[in-house]
Amino acid sequence: MHIRHLLLSAALGVAMAGSALADVKIGALYPFSGPLALLGDESARGLEIAVDQINASGGVHGEKVVLERGDAVDNNQAIGEARRLVSLVGVKAVFGTYSSARVIAASQVTDLAGIPYFELGAVADEVTSRNLKYLFRTNPTALHMGRAAIDMLAEKIAPGLGKDPKDLKIGIIYEDSSYGTSVAGHEAAYANERGLTIVAKSGYPANTVDMSSLVLELQDKGADVVLQTSYQNDSVLFLQQAHEAGYKPLAIIGGGGGYSMQPTADAVGKDIIDGVYDVDFTQYAVNTEATPGLAEFVAAYRAKYGAEPRSGHSLANYMGALAILQAIDAGEGFEPDQIVAAAKAIDIPDGTTATGFGVKFDETHQNERAWMMGMQWQDGKLVTVYPDKAAVAPMRFPVAN
Amino acid sequence: MTTFLQILVNGLMLGGLFAIVSIGLTLIFGIVKVVNFAHGEFLMAGMFITWLITTRLGLHPYAAVIIVVPALFVMGALTQRLLIQPLMSARDDHVQIFATVGLSTALINLALLIFGADIANTPAHGLRAPISLGPVRVLTGQLYIFGAAIALVVALHLMMKHSQIGRAIRAVAQNRSAAELMGINVNRIYILSFGIGAACVGLAAVLIAPLYPTSSNIGTYFVLTAFVVVVLGGLGSIPGAFFGALLIGMLDALSGFYIGSDLREAVVFGVFLVILILKPSGLFGNRRALSHLS
Repeated sequence: MHIRHLLLSAALGVAMAGSALADVKIGALYPFSGPLALLGDESARGLEIAVDQINASGGVHGEKVVLERGDAVDNNQAIGEARRLVSLVGVKAVFGTYSSARVIAASQVTDLAGIPYFELGAVADEVTSRNLKYLFRTNPTALHMGRAAIDMLAEKIAPGLGKDPKDLKIGIIYEDSSYGTSVAGHEAAYANERGLTIVAKSGYPANTVDMSSLVLELQDKGADVVLQTSYQNDSVLFLQQAHEAGYKPLAIIGGGGGYSMQPTADAVGKDIIDGVYDVDFTQYAVNTEATPGLAEFVAAYRAKYGAEPRSGHSLANYMGALAILQAIDAGEGFEPDQIVAAAKAIDIPDGTTATGFGVKFDETHQNERAWMMGMQWQDGKLVTVYPDKAAVAPMRFPVAN
Repeated sequence: MTTFLQILVNGLMLGGLFAIVSIGLTLIFGIVKVVNFAHGEFLMAGMFITWLITTRLGLHPYAAVIIVVPALFVMGALTQRLLIQPLMSARDDHVQIFATVGLSTALINLALLIFGADIANTPAHGLRAPISLGPVRVLTGQLYIFGAAIALVVALHLMMKHSQIGRAIRAVAQNRSAAELMGINVNRIYILSFGIGAACVGLAAVLIAPLYPTSSNIGTYFVLTAFVVVVLGGLGSIPGAFFGALLIGMLDALSGFYIGSDLREAVVFGVFLVILILKPSGLFGNRRALSHLS
């Protein structure tokens, strides 16, 4: 018994020492199964490509980065998997997570354990507003989404329509969970700040089966512009029901979610979706001069997965992970405080990454250089139209009749 | 005025939609006395089959009715035979309820596995075309749903009243033991009734698929309202489900416009509660129908 015990611990010690010399373990916490699996997996692919690229160029501090997956299928499991990664696997940091609810749950575990957590894709305000010591976020958020929608409307769409932005009547509709509510809140606050006119602001449950009364309300109040923050089902429902009711606002601006996805366009049809705007993470139909490294990312993605990227999530995760891993490499070591110091020292200027934006963390550990782009559906494809430096096509406007 | 008329018509069409989804649910409850929490997932399954038939074979969505309705009948009958019947003798009725909850979760995840998380879009073949009725607009597909809901209520009523099988079903619903003593095979009637209830939601699925994007959780969008409709109309009452659905549809449309779309659920459920306080057995329910609940 004694000898077996000794042998076992000796073997364990050798194994651990051996792995510590060769590899450094990083947690990859995403929803890999369940309803969020599609985009969770897409997000994780971005991280995997960043890790491949780092390892190909010599690793971090000369050590190979090895990803240890955790499946955050729901909030409880996100917590359980975070615990496992931190205490059993012994990861040096956790990367994730796509879903805001999952990161909010899991980061409480990692912060208590003093393990750095890098969020690369979740947008809710609460992720960074809790002032956790070890949590950083590289991607743009609900605030950036709301601002980009209003900026694009005031600076580009209104002039294109030949209108003063202040004359446009804005209707804001949103699904009433934390995602839609926070984006719509930022849109309304920023529109007010810019002196624009909001005539309607209405939430609705995302699982609604009828939006005809909402369409009638917007028609009744004469909304020229509709901002919708929505998932897929309600995006389709609104676009179809507005069309069927004969309601044709001058512009519809979607906030990510359903509006960025090809199946939404296929569901409502090219005739209805064409001309609709969208604000989201950097997509692939973008001017690559503003996004250096994007073409290489797409090439690496094709080589690794044998397919085109399914959404911009992988790109956002790739860019964030690459910036963080390079910073850790430039830092002192793998101790939590050394990683945090390395993250705080990041100063990547705007326009030099594959997503177009730079990286610098503010005092809440949110990347203050993150921003979102404006897209438009043109001929059944989503193309970047805003800002000008990233645009690949001129914005199209409805023909006056 | 036009807006008001349009809201009324929208409410009516929404009511028709809720009605056609709810009829099968109330039928199953009225006869088998099982609250089927997997009802929404039956709808989802029917919509996916409709989508498959329409996109793979290029047929008009309504042609799928030939396959979907029998398929759902079989699905319902099997649910009763393999899942509910073995639990019928359980001391506590709640066991059956939890079994249907489990079935619901299993079906949602099965659909996720097979079809993924994306929406499936059934081609509309002109059913989304708006037509003008005087000052208001409706979709042709919505009109068909409304018509089908009325036809289904009438057909079920005639079947229950005038056919031998209908009489047997009513006998079982009224008193299981007495029906059994009269030589009716109660288990077979239950299987048949569950099948008919599921076939009704199959018809609903065919009619709804061209108008709403199909996804694995589409059933959960409809099922809560369907429960409200069924309880409001009086558990087990088919005309009750129809008029309950119209009431809910109207309330939803009117409150969505005049009070606010984020408050319409509060209004719908508020009115629902008030009606239940005033008339606990529902609009068309009688007290006797509730006696098996206690």
